[in-house]
Amino acid sequence: MTLLELADVTAFYGPVQVLDGVSLSVPEGGSVGILGANGAGKTTTLRAVSGTVRTGGRITFDGRDIRGLRPDQVAALGIAHVPEGRGTLGQLSVRENLLVGAYLRKGRKAISADVDYCLDLFPQLQDRVSSRAAALSGGEQQMLAVARAFMAKPKLLLLDEASLGLAPSTAKTVYDSIRRLRRESGIAMVVVEQNANLAFSLVDTATVLETGRNVLTGSSAELKGMDEIRRAYLGG
Amino acid sequence: MSTVSPVLRNRSARIALTVVVAIALIAAPLLLPAFANQTLVRIGVYAVAVLGLNIVMGYTGQVNLGQIFFVGLGAYVTAYGVNHGWNIIVVFVAACAIAGIVGLLVALAAARLGGLAIAMVTIALPIVGVPLAKRLSEFTGGSQGISARFSDAPDWSGLYSDQWQFYIVLLVTAAAFLLARSLVQGKYGRAFGVVRENEAVAASMGVSPYRTKVLAFTIASILGGASGFLYLAAVQYTSPETLSFGHSISLLAAMVIGGAGSIAGSLIGGAYYVFVPQLTNAIDPSFTTLSQGAILLVVLFLLPEGLVSLPRVIRRLGRRRTARPTSGNPPQTAPAHHPVPEAAREGLENTERQDRP
Amino acid sequence: MGMGTFIQLVVDGLSTGAIYAALALAIVLVNQATGLINFAQGGLAVLSSYIAYVFVRLGLPLILAIIVAVVLSFFIGALVERFLVRRFERGDPDTAVVVTVGLLTLVTGLCAVLWGYNNLGFPSLFPLTSVEILGAVVSVRSLATTVTIVVIMVVLQLLFLRTKLGLALRAVADNPASAAFSGLPVGRLLMVGWGLAATLGAIAGVLVAPQLTLTPGMLDTALVYALAAVILGGLSSPIGCVVAASAIGVLENLVAVYVPFIGHDLKIAVPFVLIFVILVLRPQGLFGRKVVVRV
Repeated sequence: MTLLELADVTAFYGPVQVLDGVSLSVPEGGSVGILGANGAGKTTTLRAVSGTVRTGGRITFDGRDIRGLRPDQVAALGIAHVPEGRGTLGQLSVRENLLVGAYLRKGRKAISADVDYCLDLFPQLQDRVSSRAAALSGGEQQMLAVARAFMAKPKLLLLDEASLGLAPSTAKTVYDSIRRLRRESGIAMVVVEQNANLAFSLVDTATVLETGRNVLTGSSAELKGMDEIRRAYLGG
Repeated sequence: MSTVSPVLRNRSARIALTVVVAIALIAAPLLLPAFANQTLVRIGVYAVAVLGLNIVMGYTGQVNLGQIFFVGLGAYVTAYGVNHGWNIIVVFVAACAIAGIVGLLVALAAARLGGLAIAMVTIALPIVGVPLAKRLSEFTGGSQGISARFSDAPDWSGLYSDQWQFYIVLLVTAAAFLLARSLVQGKYGRAFGVVRENEAVAASMGVSPYRTKVLAFTIASILGGASGFLYLAAVQYTSPETLSFGHSISLLAAMVIGGAGSIAGSLIGGAYYVFVPQLTNAIDPSFTTLSQGAILLVVLFLLPEGLVSLPRVIRRLGRRRTARPTSGNPPQTAPAHHPVPEAAREGLENTERQDRP
Repeated sequence: MGMGTFIQLVVDGLSTGAIYAALALAIVLVNQATGLINFAQGGLAVLSSYIAYVFVRLGLPLILAIIVAVVLSFFIGALVERFLVRRFERGDPDTAVVVTVGLLTLVTGLCAVLWGYNNLGFPSLFPLTSVEILGAVVSVRSLATTVTIVVIMVVLQLLFLRTKLGLALRAVADNPASAAFSGLPVGRLLMVGWGLAATLGAIAGVLVAPQLTLTPGMLDTALVYALAAVILGGLSSPIGCVVAASAIGVLENLVAVYVPFIGHDLKIAVPFVLIFVILVLRPQGLFGRKVVVRV
């Protein structure tokens, strides 16, 4: 069954049209990649879903139209957005960041258990639970951002450039943990990623955007083989 | 940011208009009744103060809640000089220079703080200034205030005093506006603009935000001093009340309502400062403050660039009606002057105004 | 003048310092949530004091009138955020500051229209008696004012550090866009933040009103002191502001009495001379960090 469906979505930043009819379909528990060059509209597509940019077209989640909802209302439906550039709360401690992630949930015990699960998932955070997020390294902040999103127990995770600015080995660690998270929790994902290898390690299908339009959609395996696509859109 | 209509862009038309305006201004006091002259004089006085505020706030983006302090300082220096028999040119230079030096000293400290701290420090100027003026009674005449007559028309001129005062104010106001205009259109004006938009960018371009802010603040203080000189020419009397906090807020309101970052807006601001309290006082004096606050907020909501932008806004509305974009659901409600990256951040707020399901 | 006078001056200074501290904290609270400096914070507190005055005149017991006014202030603060300030929060901070100056003018004008410019007497919550401490005669009102404000600050601190609402408020203050992704209703939380700030201001207002007597501009000077405390203490440091506000309260009292040139009329200059001197001596800013930068 389809969890998230985008049909002919358009978006503007002021007078500039950034999305020109993007479509996307994410099955329950599925993982879909959005690939493309800089400025193709990948981040804006995620923003369209999470309600941080005004859009035209149709966006349905769980069979209900979510276009025009505020970001917090979208979050309440079970969509967690990990924005580009970490998205942690710098002045709050790691533990507080995780608790903010669980803001909409009830049940102290379950929340506490999930905090422990996050610290197991990202062991690097274990020693830092009381440090301010701003004091963490880039990789740790990215882990915290993902963990905080998970704390909401969402049905869908929007992951934007989780490898941005990280050393290759750190990026790999982050993606390994996200893969484990997906395996163990069954959360559906939309993954925006410049690094093709990392992206394909996490997604079942993917779509390639160019100037705000889908130009190619296919399974991970199909796309992976297309060298010319990789060269053109993914930078190798 | 030009507000002139296309007709005025034509060079010869502009020169002709300048000549007509100049002749009208020179002829006006001879034709108008005394009350009208006095009103125009007061507009000139406050237009110069608002112009100074505009340099530091409108152009450079540093909120200054203490401009009236420099007006009062200029007025006191003028009164002191006149009563001690100084040459009037010396008095004028002293009024500008002392206000400028005090402004420079305040700015050297306040600009270090950056951001809104300048607003927080400058608010203290009138609040400290009033008791200070009362205290220094040998210079200021204390609570009673001090009067100084130097602007009565000399016999040889054959003019009435209101006409003579008009010419004094016209001379100084015109000079201040022309100087300010060439300042903001030149190198320093660009520096002001960059500092206002983004201090980090300014620094990366080799423009020191600190020095630019100090410069703008000092110029504003000098213009405040000049306005104080004119104030004394027009009113011939000053007291601690001249530099009260309420008046400082009124100057700020006049600047915003006239148009921040606009030379012409400063003139409108001066007119607002003089006319609107007269109007509200005529209706009911107790409503003056209330209506001032209300007008300021209404202008900020409906016309954030001030009255000077009214023609432009009307034209833009007209254009929008004739040429509406056809695509899906563009967020055209975002004000057109916002830079593009801003739009992304605004999304959060924009969506909020949409209907809930 | 002996030790007794000195202690008396210090205790009185701490009590006025507590009032400045409450206003300064309200300013910091608003700044943390929305990045603005609310110049209307004092004006709103005056409005609250007038509201309490109205309920007293209607025959309500003083404490009840104060509670009603303080609760109403919460809603006034929240509504101001929602309908006045929200539009300007994401724009140019200078414009937003002018909006709060406009609000100050509006509120002052409203109080003037409704209650006039004449000083109105406001009853004191605390007895006007004095007690002797270490040989000094100290007014009960000063002591009680200080204690009340300290208790409220502790409660506020607990709210911020120990409750879910406090966590949410801090999250929104830190990064509203990011907080929204976790489902935090940012708009409503900002309203709560402004409401709490207005509440704090209202408490300061009713505590100081008996001393100053009610006028529309009653807290203009106190606002200026509070702003000085905020500059000295740092916008990101509530504790720094409280310390600075108390220091200013004590210092201005001592200077007014022991430095004849300054006296009571010019004591308002004290914190600003202090700021000026510190800025000249420490060009890098107060406490070695940038004070009011939030880009």
